[in-house]
Order: sequence, then C-alpha cells, then structure tokens
Amino acid sequence: MITTMNTNTVDKSTVNTSTVNKSMVNKGHGYKDSSKHLNSGENANEQASQQSSMSTENSHTKVPDYTKLAIQLDAVKTDVKSKIGSEDAAYIRRVILAQRACEWTGRILLMLGFIQPLLWVVGVLSLATAKILDNMEIGHNVMHGQYDWMNDKYINSKAYEWDIACDGSSWNRVHNYEHHTYTNIIGKDRDFGYGLLRLSNDFRWRVKNLWQFITYVMLSVMFQWGVSYHEMAAERVFFGKKKDNRKNQLSHAELKRRFFSKGARQLVKDYVLFPLLAGPFFLYVFTGNLVANLLRNLWTSTIIFCGHFTGDVQTFSVEDCVDETQGQWYYRQGLGSSNIKGGTLFHVLTGHLSFQIEHHLFPDIPARRYREMAPQVQAIFKEHGMHYNTGGFFKQYASVLKRIIRYSFP
Amino acid sequence: MIVKTLSVPIFKKLARELIKELRVNIAVKALMNKAATVFFHHATWAGYWETVFQMVNPSWRDGYYQARVKSVSTLNATTLQLVLTPQKRWPLHLAGQHIALTVEVNGKLVTRVFTIASGQKSRQDEGTIRLVIRVKKDGALTPYLSALLSKTASKASSKSASKVSVNISAPMGNFVLPKAALLDKLETSSLEQAAPEQIKPVVMIAGGSGITPFIAMLEDLNSASSDNLQSRPVHLLYFAKENEHLLTQELAEYKRLNTHFTYEFLCRQKDGGVEQRLASHTDAHWMVCGPQSLYDEVANTHANLPPANDVSLDSEHFAAFPVATAQTSGEKAFFSLSHNGSSLSVDNQQTLLTQLQQANRPVTYGCGMGICHQCQCVKKRGVVRDTRTGALSDNAEQLIQLCVSQAVTDLELQA
Repeated sequence: MITTMNTNTVDKSTVNTSTVNKSMVNKGHGYKDSSKHLNSGENANEQASQQSSMSTENSHTKVPDYTKLAIQLDAVKTDVKSKIGSEDAAYIRRVILAQRACEWTGRILLMLGFIQPLLWVVGVLSLATAKILDNMEIGHNVMHGQYDWMNDKYINSKAYEWDIACDGSSWNRVHNYEHHTYTNIIGKDRDFGYGLLRLSNDFRWRVKNLWQFITYVMLSVMFQWGVSYHEMAAERVFFGKKKDNRKNQLSHAELKRRFFSKGARQLVKDYVLFPLLAGPFFLYVFTGNLVANLLRNLWTSTIIFCGHFTGDVQTFSVEDCVDETQGQWYYRQGLGSSNIKGGTLFHVLTGHLSFQIEHHLFPDIPARRYREMAPQVQAIFKEHGMHYNTGGFFKQYASVLKRIIRYSFP
Repeated sequence: MIVKTLSVPIFKKLARELIKELRVNIAVKALMNKAATVFFHHATWAGYWETVFQMVNPSWRDGYYQARVKSVSTLNATTLQLVLTPQKRWPLHLAGQHIALTVEVNGKLVTRVFTIASGQKSRQDEGTIRLVIRVKKDGALTPYLSALLSKTASKASSKSASKVSVNISAPMGNFVLPKAALLDKLETSSLEQAAPEQIKPVVMIAGGSGITPFIAMLEDLNSASSDNLQSRPVHLLYFAKENEHLLTQELAEYKRLNTHFTYEFLCRQKDGGVEQRLASHTDAHWMVCGPQSLYDEVANTHANLPPANDVSLDSEHFAAFPVATAQTSGEKAFFSLSHNGSSLSVDNQQTLLTQLQQANRPVTYGCGMGICHQCQCVKKRGVVRDTRTGALSDNAEQLIQLCVSQAVTDLELQA
C-alpha cells in the first residue's frame, strides 16, 4: 500500500491504496514531482531502493536496508497490536486509581504535617508520585492516543487534561506533531535543545552557551513552565516571529488565553486554594506543593533529557528527510532516541519513556507494551548494524551532562 | 492579576447559568465541576472519579444507564434473548422504542442499537426489558455474548448472571403504535362505542429480527389502556427464512389471548412478495420493521396504491452492515459525509482530511500521517478504512483520525 501522506501543503494527488504491505511517507515539504508517488504497488520496492540509494549520500556511516527495516518493524507493531485489549484497559485504569490514591494521600498528609513532620515528608513524596504518574504514564501516553481504541469517554487523547502548567491540547498539537513527526530534524523539531541549549554542532555557538549548564539546571527546576511556554510556541506568540513553514491553526489570542488560563489555574490551585483549604496549616501545604512540583519537574526533565540528548543521539537535516520512506522514518526515530534500563517501577514512573526508542517508533502503542517490544527492536537494529542506544540511568544521565557541557564550547 | 483572569469568567458563567436556568441544581453542578477543573484538572467530577467508581462497579459510566443481566438464552442457532433489569431511574419506554447497548469487549467499549422486545408491562411488573440479538459470526458483540452465554450455562443459576452489568441509553425512537383511530370513511360517534370493524386496523409487517418492536406492542395491547384499544384489529405479516421465525410461541399465546390479533408466517421464496399480501389490507395503518429491501417493497406498494385507499405508513428499517473487505479498496465510489451537521460528498480514494480541506471545511490538522492526533474527531456512525493498515473501523461511535481515514460507507462526523 502506498499512501501519500502530506503535511501542511494541500496535496491534490490521488491516494492509491492497493496491496503492498508497506507504506511510504512523503513529507509535503519540498517534494518536487508528486506524480512519482502515484506508482502502483509493484513499484514500491524499486522506488524504495531508489530512495535509499539517494540517502547513501547522507553522512551516516552504515546504511541499512530500509525496506526490510520497515517490514520488520511493522511486523513487530502488528504483532503487539493484535494483543492489545482488556489487559491494557485494566492497566491504565489501575494506574489512574493509583494516581488518585497518591494524590489524596499526599494532599491530606501535607495538612497533618503539624502532628509529625515525617507525615509531611511522606505527603510530599506521595503528591509528587501522583503528579509524576499523572504527567507521564497517564497524561503523556493517553494524550498520544495510546488508549483511544478503548472508546472511553474520559481516557482518550481528546478529553484528557493533566496536572501541569501546559495546556493539554496545545501540548498535543506541538509535541505530537512537531516533535514526533520531525524528530531531531534540526530546524523543525524545536524540542531539540528547547531553543535554549546548544546540543550539537548544527547550531552556531553563541556566548550564552558558555553558561548553558546553569540554564539547563534552571530549565529542570522550572520544567513544567518551560514545557508550557515552549509548547505554546511562546516566542512567536509574544514576540511576533513567525516561520513560513508553520501554519498557525489557532489565533495568537487563543494561544495566549490558554497559556494564561491553564498556567494561572495551576498556580492558584497549588499555591492559593489548597493552602487556603488547610486553614492554619497554610504554609505546610504551600511548601509541600512547592516541593512536590519541584520533584516532579526534576524527574520529568531528567527522564526526558536521558531519552533525547544522550551523547550518541543523532541529528538530521531537513534535506536528509525529503521523500523519506517509512523505513527511513523508523531509522531516524530509532537513532534519535535513547533508552534507560531499569526495573518495572522505574519504567512505570517514567511513563515507559525509559523506552524512548520504542516510543518514537510506535508512539500510539500502549506504552507498557514497549517492554516486550524492546528485545525484538534491539535484535532488528543489530541486524541492520544500527546503534541501539541504551544503558543504565547513571550512564545515560552522565552522557547527557557531558553533552550539555561539551557543546557549551565552540 | 492571576486570580482575576481565573475568577471573572467563572462568575460570569455561573451568573449567566443561574439567570438562564433559575435552577439551583444546575448551578451547583456547574460549581462542582468548576471545582473539579480548578482542584483536580478534570472538566467534571465524573471524569475524575469514574475510574475509581468502576473499581467497585465496573459498569458505572457517566452519561449511561446501568442494567443488570438477568438472563441470557438462545432462541435459535443464531439468535439470543437477553433479559435486562435496568436501574430504577431508567425512564419507562414505549413499546417499539430502541436503546443503545454498550458493553466492554476485550477492553473496548462497543455500542449497538437494539429494539426493546418487551412492553411496558414487563418493566412495570418485573422490572425487566428484553433484547433479541442476532449473533453474527464476526459481530463486535459476539465474543461478549457467547462468553456471557457460556458463563450462565456453566453455572446454571441466575445468581451468577445477575452480577453482570451492561450500559444502556435512554429509550429512543418514535416507532410506536399510533393511537387507535376510526376509519376515515365512517361517521360513527365515538371510539369507545365503535365496533371492532369500524376501527382502523393495524398491519404489522416484520422481516426477520424486525419482529422485536411488534412483540413489545402486542404485549402492551394485552394490557390496553383506553387509547390503545384491545379490540383494535391487528394483523401481522411476518417474513423470515423458512423455519427461522422467532418468538412463534409467544405470538401464538397473544393470538389466544387477543381475538382481534391474527398473524401469518411467510417465507418470501415460498409465499411470494409483500405486494400481493398487502393487497387485502388497504384501509389500514401499516407498520414495517425489517431490512431495507423489505421496507423498499412496502414503500413501493404504498406509493402505488390508488388514492382512494386510506393507508398510512410507519417504518423502522435497518440498513445492512456494509460489506467491504479490508484488502481491496475497490472501485471509486462516493458517499455522503455529514460534518458538524452540514453534508458533502466524499469518495473512497482520498483521505477524509484531504477532501474536507478541498471543500474548505474548517479542520484542524497536523502531521498528515496519523501521528499527532490533531485532526482527530468523533465519528458518530459509518465505517472508515485506515489507510495505513487497510483495517476497517467499527460502525459505531469512535474517535478517528481524518488524515488516515477513507470513507467506506456514508459517515457522520463531529469535530
């Protein structure tokens, strides 16, 4: 099956859905001859090899057989997809239940801090866990559409809203679109360095990069606000810059409204309303919420940096990705991410983003399935001589810090 | 400043609602849900708590009624009878109305519409309603129903089945028995004094499982109220494949109890078409429920009647589920697409997104390859094909991504 998939440019060509079990992705940007994508199924392989030969000119050292890669990874996906069912539905419900339990335990224990400070500490940890579960295993994954097949009124990517400063639908728009479609393409995936950090030689060195390690620490501490501001494409909203390749689906006024309303709601909730509810224990709750938010920020930021900015993660240029096939897309997703090894609880608390490679290959498969997919993916990568970037938490984190410091200098 | 941006719209909205509705409970509900948004980042309390409630009661679902499964049994090789006990606040239905039944099949909520095959009487007396379900080989509900059936069969006690609950919608539809009326041609004084032959007869035309609304009406005819005269003549023409007529014993029983009710079991191969059967039933109220082909035939007959006849026609017909295979996209075909209430024609070759854009419809979109979920919208009904896998969707309501969906049947979408 060849499917002409287009991005922003309106594509008038006919989509041919005939037989071959492989789809090819053509980016709407900059492809010149649309007629060549209208081949029938038999030409698919030929066309793919032609395209892969084109990409041999790329700087990557070893070039895998993209067609085979796509078929193999598609097979992994199809196999797991057929298993998705009541187990996964029960799982996400269990996680939501755990989140509710942690949230209430946390909020109640914070108020009891006056009896015994240890209760306050447990409360903070419990609330932080609730927020982490909500943001990562529930929010991130549900908003990726991983559970849309359930047809549930609340557990779906359209309805879910999370406990974070960033407005859910704005995040959906930018993260799922820009970051997951154009992963690590410099100039398109603004998540690469978040516009604050210089993480590869693709960016010109500036003086401010000298102290980017401090910028990084600040970003981690304020991560929810960083994400919120960033995903809003805030720099354009506030300073009026606009790139040609971006179509603004929402008006600036609407974006601003969302930024302020969701952000304000979060501030009021954690630092005014809940503390007020506690009455005389205002400060216990105020500081408890502050610390819980801080813990959540540090955790999410660290996990996300470990998934994207370890030393071996590759970047791509816009030209690399013109007329990209499904196989090439998989290749880019695979080399643009890194995994973290760990136990079950660790994986759950990272929202299975410790399987960042699998997440980028299969963003809408329920994340808990990445655990069983990982060994298969690793074997396929090995067969194609592709680097499967994985390691323990400390190894990966050290590699991230090294990268941040390395690119502080020209 | 932050408090201001937050609170002003809330109070404005609340005040507006108070003034508009003057009903405190609505304002309270709005206030409660606002609190859910402010404190627990969920639009409604129901959304925040639903999963927790479901741990205690799996069929607790916001916006749905619950019903316990009282019994499930087979009527014939392909047909099941499901008796449900709806919760008390479920409204009393009218005989002939239908409901949407929602069950969880392998983690996925599946919804199908069924006519209630029982009258108000059984709800009032026993608190139950009945559904008659044709089990299709690849039907979405089939795994659930067969599991239910084997569960009740193995335990052989009604106790185990009563713990299973399903979700149902409020009763819907207006395919109900009209009030008894006198024949237009007669000039008699009042309905109460009218002889049976002066009342306009009802002719029920059922096809296959289309018997269900009529069995409900017949049940309630037996407990007739003043405007639903028991003495009104009712004749049933029941078409089905040979030996596949359903509920025959019940029909015989109603015939025994009600001298004004008669029926014929017909088989189209053997007994010929509908037209000749209806020839002797002019001057009547026709009601038809069955497959599209049966309805077409009746409607045709009705249209061809000479104007002197006093025939009115009510109908409830179900279009057959679309026959399409996942592998072939087939020849180019056009379907009607209802998008947020307005309709346009779409083909099965391009994606829905492309065609909506060409029609200058306001659609939000992003990656165009099924990753970002921005073009996602609610499909109310109809079947779409996933362009990535060729897989066909369910016919019922679900979320679809416009950029990777093609029409397979007529569609109704809501952004």
